[in-house]
Order: sequence, then structure tokens, then C-alpha cells
Amino acid sequence: MAENKHYPELRKRLTPGWWTANRHYAMYMVREWTSLFVALYSLIFIYGLSLWATGSRADFLNFLKNPAVIGFSLVALVFTMYHAATWFYLLGAVAPVKIGRSKTKPWQALILNLILLVIVSYLAIWLVVLR
Amino acid sequence: MKMETHKVAKLHAILWGIFSLGGMIAAFLLPVMIYMTAIAYPFGLWPFSRENPACPSCLTLVRDPSLLVTGHLLGALFVFVTIAGSLFHGIFRFQSALTEVGLLKYRRALEAVGYFIIFVGIIVLAYYLIAWYLNGTIT
Repeated sequence: MAENKHYPELRKRLTPGWWTANRHYAMYMVREWTSLFVALYSLIFIYGLSLWATGSRADFLNFLKNPAVIGFSLVALVFTMYHAATWFYLLGAVAPVKIGRSKTKPWQALILNLILLVIVSYLAIWLVVLR
Repeated sequence: MKMETHKVAKLHAILWGIFSLGGMIAAFLLPVMIYMTAIAYPFGLWPFSRENPACPSCLTLVRDPSLLVTGHLLGALFVFVTIAGSLFHGIFRFQSALTEVGLLKYRRALEAVGYFIIFVGIIVLAYYLIAWYLNGTIT
């Protein structure tokens, strides 16, 4: 109880629509809601695997070709890329690297991590599919 | 009481640590996973297709995403890490976001439902992959 007095939880004072007050808050909320698509894609993929486990490999592959699954996945990809970009930017803001007297900027972390994303993606494809 | 608070703080630190790791996994690995399953395979693009020698402008599907699971143990590990990490991160973050839009009084219920989905999802995923590994589907 005493701890609550010293550290009041700000969320208790927030109204449901507080995030519409300005663009910064709205973008924050959009970023948080991208996680819904990240979670749903994961659950949909697990469901696809369950079709394979209880049926056949063709069931899994047909599921991946279902227009609704493709449509949702494309939306999920857009939101996942948005998550990735904001996550990389945040990394640069939270943990800047000190080089000499100056510190790296968040946009530098964003660019570096986007390049890393391309490299990691290619490596993943090579390792999992092409090898 | 102090010991209890310390344990709760430690658990919170662990959960937020996994959340951050899941955020990195979702940022670095999930886009390529979605590309492979939702774009490359259904639309017959690289890396699941290659040029047809008889028709240089045509692409022929020569592989499919079941390779992600059955091609190599590393593929199964990639699927597990990507899906389990993204699921944890996504659910954890979404239930936290819901408490910020007027559902704070349902926090306990949201956490219970969220952790239940994470737990069941990861167990089911691990079960399928381990079963396929043990019966030789994953080589």
C-alpha cells in the first residue's frame, strides 16, 4: 500500500481515449497494436501445422494458399515491418553507442539494423531452404 | 513480505527479459518467415521456385514451406524460435496495451488469458516439432 502511495500507477489516471490527444501518443498506440498481428500470425501458423499433424502435408500447404490467410499475412507483414522499424529506432534511443566523444543517433541504429535485417533474412533462407 | 516482493520483481524481470528477446526475434526473423509462407510460396517466388529452362520467363515451383520444418533440424529450430518468441512478445505486449485503453481493472484476467494462450501455443508447437523429430519427419 505504502509503495503505491510513493509510486502511483499512471495508467489508473488514463482515460480510454488518452492516446488520441496527439500524434505522438497515437503512433505509440499503433505500435503497441502491431503486436496483435504478430501474435495472430504465430497462432495461425501453429494452426496450419496442426492441420498437417492431424491430416496431411497437403492440408498445410493448401492452408498457406488460402486467400484469407495470404491477405491476413500480408497485413501482418506490413505491421511486422513497422514493429521492426520502431523497435530498431527504439534500440538506438535506449542504448546509444558511444564512439569517441559522440553518441550514435536512433536513425543510425535504424539504418544499421535494417541492413542487418536483410542479411539475417538472406542467411535464414539460405540455412533453412537453400542449403 | 519483502522476500515475496523480491520474488515477484524477479519474475517480472524475467518476463520482461523474454518479452525483449521476443521483440528482437519478431523484428529480425518474423518478416522473412511471413515472406516465405505468405508471399514466396503462394505466388511461386524465390526461394521456392526457379527458372524453367524450357521457358526462361516462367518460374517453376520446386520447393515448398514444409521444408522449413522437415528440411533440416535447424529449420525446425528456426520455426520454433520465431513462432514461440513472436507469440510471447505479441500476446504480452497486446495484453499490456489493453490495460492502457480502459481495461486496467481486468488486468489479472487479461494476464491469465494471455499466459494461457502463450503456454498452450508454445507447448503445442513444441509437441508437433518433437513428434516429427522423433518419427523421422525432421531429419
